[in-house]
Amino acid sequence: MTSPPAHGTHGPDVEHDAAHPFFQHHYNTPGQQAAAAKLGMWVFLGTEILMFSGLFLAYFIVRMFYPEMVLGSGELLDKTWGGVNTVVLLTSSFTMAMAVRSAQVGDQAKLVRNLIFTIFFALCFMVVKYIEYSGKFSHGIFPGKYFDYERAAQYMIEHGHEPVMGLPHIFFGLYFCMTGLHGVHVLVGIGVLLWILMRAKKGQFGPTYFTPVENVGLYWHLVDLVWIFLFPLLYLVK
Amino acid sequence: MAKTYLHGKPVEGVIEVHEHVSPASSYVKVLSALFVLTGITYAVSFANLGPASLPVAMVVALIKATLVCMYFMHLRYDDRYHVFVFLSTIIFVAIFFTFTMFDLVSRPRLNEEQDTFFRVHQGGDWNDAQRAKNIDKYPALEVPGVPHAADAKADAKADAKADAKAGDAKAAAPGKAP
Repeated sequence: MTSPPAHGTHGPDVEHDAAHPFFQHHYNTPGQQAAAAKLGMWVFLGTEILMFSGLFLAYFIVRMFYPEMVLGSGELLDKTWGGVNTVVLLTSSFTMAMAVRSAQVGDQAKLVRNLIFTIFFALCFMVVKYIEYSGKFSHGIFPGKYFDYERAAQYMIEHGHEPVMGLPHIFFGLYFCMTGLHGVHVLVGIGVLLWILMRAKKGQFGPTYFTPVENVGLYWHLVDLVWIFLFPLLYLVK
Repeated sequence: MAKTYLHGKPVEGVIEVHEHVSPASSYVKVLSALFVLTGITYAVSFANLGPASLPVAMVVALIKATLVCMYFMHLRYDDRYHVFVFLSTIIFVAIFFTFTMFDLVSRPRLNEEQDTFFRVHQGGDWNDAQRAKNIDKYPALEVPGVPHAADAKADAKADAKADAKAGDAKAAAPGKAP
């Protein structure tokens, strides 16, 4: 039993030892602090969705005006690598959700392990992206004006496709913008996951305080969410 | 639990975690469902559904996205306000898409009404030139089963002539006539 703090004192009103050490003095309760952080994260995720929606709209417009070009160019993307990356990213989302759960139940070892798994799968995703991009670049398939039509056409003929009519460089411009922006998000995700991993190793997270783990998890699931739509639209179009 | 005070008054449940902790098995189930759905989209893409393939792929993607949002992102058990923030974003995306599409679809008619003429994309002249260059450069790269690009080009020209006869203004654009 502690005495109520005197009015006008600075600092948390809630007694300190009851809250976690990351409790900020300008919040009334740790719950309020967690709710504010999470609401901020959701608003940020909303802006992320709006940013990606512009690229998705560009894709739908190009597809509406030049359906044959989009479908023909999409054939050149490797469905299997795309599928592998989908499985990798879904699994990383799962390990991230498990990491948040481990923090919620206070399982320190599992938290660290799941975070390492998540980072590992994120790196796998980037390795596959590297293989795919270098494959495209080696055949002159670059975005926009750097598109080497002659080499790309030769590549298409070698693959048993007729050279894509229309404006394939527009499709590949979109492909590189969409997957590139998504890839940047994966790289940023790896960065924040490493930060969370370092903090987790210091034992800073537990059942009373896991907001950073949860918010990084939300971000990571959004990256997964964007890929869920990118994969069928770019790789599986027909 | 120690008694806590807020603004000088005793309060309860301050450090209680209100988060719903899902059992690990539910995450495993969601992951399996996501894998199955990925397999379905992958398999369907080889089935040549034609115009139906886009809606099918989108419906499967929406189901996957819903699973991720509800279970991985905890929206099912979370504060309803976060659901509201998320769904209002989706509503604004829908507004963005719908109004842009209205604009694109209605613009040709409005241009016609105002007698505005735009020279846009007259049958891929740039591309035809590029293709012609390629055919000269790689004449040996003919693949059995794939119609030779030069033939396709001749077909396209024949089509263009037929279209011109039919009175299609686009195909009969200046510079395109033989």
